[in-house]
Amino acid sequence: MIRTLRILAANPLSLLGLTLVILITLAAIFAPWIAPFPTHNGAVVDFLNNNRPPSSHNWMGTDLVGRDIFSRILFAYQISLTLGVVVLAIAVPIGTMIGLLAGYIGGWLEMVLMRIVDVFLSIPPLVLAIAMMGVLEPTLTNAMLAVTAMWWPWYARLVYSIARGEREEGYVLAAEVIGAGAGHIAFREILPNCLPAIITKMTLDMGFVIIIASSLSFLGLGVQPPTADLGSMVAEGARYLPDSWWLTVFPGLAILVAVFGFNLLGDGLRDVLGVDE
Amino acid sequence: MMKNTALITALCAATALASPAFAETVLRLDEVAVGELDPAKASDYADSILMFNVYDTLVLPAQGGPGHTPHLAASWDVDGATYTFTLRDDVMFQSGNKMTAADVVYSVERMQALGAGLSYLFAGVTAEAVDDTTVTLTLETPYAPFIASLVRLPIVDMTLVKANSDSEWGEDFLSGNGAGTGAYSVTSHNPQEETVMAKSDSYFLDVADVAPDTVRLRYGLEPATVRTLIAQGEHDIASQWLPPEVVQALANDGAQLLTESGTGGFYFKMNTQKPPLDNVNCRLALSAVFDYGTAIQMIAINDEVSGGSPSTGAIPVGMFGANGSDMVQTQDLDAAKAYLADCPYDPAEMNLEISWIAEVPLEERFALLMQSNFNEMGISSSITKLPWALFAEQVSTAETTPHISQLFVNAVTGDPDTLLYGMYHSSTPGTWQSPEYLNDAEVDAALDAGRSATSDADREAAYSALNARLMAIAPTIYGFDRQSVFAASNRVNVPALSDPAMAFGLDGMGFSFRLMEMTGE
Repeated sequence: MIRTLRILAANPLSLLGLTLVILITLAAIFAPWIAPFPTHNGAVVDFLNNNRPPSSHNWMGTDLVGRDIFSRILFAYQISLTLGVVVLAIAVPIGTMIGLLAGYIGGWLEMVLMRIVDVFLSIPPLVLAIAMMGVLEPTLTNAMLAVTAMWWPWYARLVYSIARGEREEGYVLAAEVIGAGAGHIAFREILPNCLPAIITKMTLDMGFVIIIASSLSFLGLGVQPPTADLGSMVAEGARYLPDSWWLTVFPGLAILVAVFGFNLLGDGLRDVLGVDE
Repeated sequence: MMKNTALITALCAATALASPAFAETVLRLDEVAVGELDPAKASDYADSILMFNVYDTLVLPAQGGPGHTPHLAASWDVDGATYTFTLRDDVMFQSGNKMTAADVVYSVERMQALGAGLSYLFAGVTAEAVDDTTVTLTLETPYAPFIASLVRLPIVDMTLVKANSDSEWGEDFLSGNGAGTGAYSVTSHNPQEETVMAKSDSYFLDVADVAPDTVRLRYGLEPATVRTLIAQGEHDIASQWLPPEVVQALANDGAQLLTESGTGGFYFKMNTQKPPLDNVNCRLALSAVFDYGTAIQMIAINDEVSGGSPSTGAIPVGMFGANGSDMVQTQDLDAAKAYLADCPYDPAEMNLEISWIAEVPLEERFALLMQSNFNEMGISSSITKLPWALFAEQVSTAETTPHISQLFVNAVTGDPDTLLYGMYHSSTPGTWQSPEYLNDAEVDAALDAGRSATSDADREAAYSALNARLMAIAPTIYGFDRQSVFAASNRVNVPALSDPAMAFGLDGMGFSFRLMEMTGE
């Protein structure tokens, strides 16, 4: 662990990524305490102070109904991070399991599972999510469901390709010779060798999940008002460009910072964990 | 020598192009999609702009005052329920065909057969051509504002339609082509993108040279796009749906503000079939809790121009039956508490769905204002964004209609009947104007009385009674009386939208391009 951190720290960009991720996570967790206007995440309107540019009172200005944009961005990070964590927490185990089974057991199971994965991978991810959201009600839970449905196949494909290679390795054959069961070999022998790749991809994917979720709410298919969400804040503000630029620029920057942070960290982890590109 | 001649010719051509006398003037404006070109299906603003320019009607609203003036009809007589029109004999369609009484009969019957748009205005009307220039329209039941309705009866070129379509009513042809007598003919039409129109040279009235030669009506432009285009001198008149901040920014940059007022309002329509809004006390509580004062602040553009004026009741000020300006609606939390005490539903369990139309960003703010007002009373609610097309589909049944729908509605003929009948009569539920699904015998009776009464005094009495009844049963929260504001470049003058003495008193009529003046700037 300390060794990992030391290697990470040796690369300034990775360190920057790690710092951004930690800052964003802390900001999200402590939003109710550090936000200057904690009530502005809800159904609050203040038309006497609406559409104000950045000032010492409102660091990032106020939106069209008078809510503090900085406070709303902190709360929006809660939504984005929760969404990212939940999506990956569901998609990664499912994808890994399917990939392992297909890669290690092979045969007809491999055929069936990997063709299903191919079907999912052949549909552009955002289109699949939009189609699902069109059928379901636009809520946070359904947005998570839609993003999860498009995310697991990538892990299935990743783990499958590693497991297929490992299947022929000496240590797997040795385990088979001494009579280890299929479950033991898959989960205790092969899976640990897939973990570095999975962890690296998860870190990189946090950024992408945040982007996709923001795209969904940009289209009005994600979290509904008055809850703060980065994508819908950008969508709402875009109508008022270029005059009320703060409505769009700050939430947009917030997305950029989050995605950038996770990407840099993911790159750093890839080096640390020795995963091939 | 050859070379010189060519050079001189080229120079002459260049001079001709640059000379203002030959310059083609182009007017560019925008509206919300879709642009419905078939005049029998026209109902909303974009459709009306198309209809008023490509087609003509028998009468026109008088400018700067009440009443109607002859247009395609030279004169008319009324005998009970029979109206006899003498048509002008010098009117040609854009195709070159002569306009006759047979075209008027065809237009009425086509409207009735298609049953779309505002065809309900002409249900039960029998049209008959007496000779080429005389036509009678006979009503089944007396309808006081019938002459006013005629502004929604565009006359279609029957000969052209029949020559270009196999179907009797030519829907396929008229959805993409113009067939009118109007001052502008359709050059190209894509209902989602743009309609291009050109000044017709065969119009029966004089059209000033300064009227635009070409008009490009674009659909579905983003507010930020319109803002940028006007600032760059590439757009002339913005739609009325721009958020007030954008209109303000444009006005600060020197854009002129055009206005059109007086025939409609902004409404929060409550679905009276869906609990808890099926109970009158619950509806009255919501009406009392809404913050009308803040809503008025939200629509102000500057000190002089605003998107509306305070509502005094169910009927806009200036129409029959309107309340005086001393009855301005205000938020009344004590009254709201009292009504809520008599409402049998638990406020925390109400989960009212407040919808807003995606194409009208301002409505999201009204939704948030309303939600925060409801929160003060402990009433739970959620906000849903609905694109116009989806909303129009959802209102077709009471079950799928949201609890609260936000709508701008105007009297399509300028008469209160066409504002209120379609909204509240029990025979017209489930249109975009009537998501209330109101079924009230007293309201029906007042509406029927309003359209059959012959004297102004009787009509005033009927609509006063209607106003009182509507305020008592609160199917709708009456937000404010509407004034449409359009930001425009200085390349165009629009007297009908800037000079009250030239205003038409009918929504969309101010966009008669033949009366506009390009300034050459």
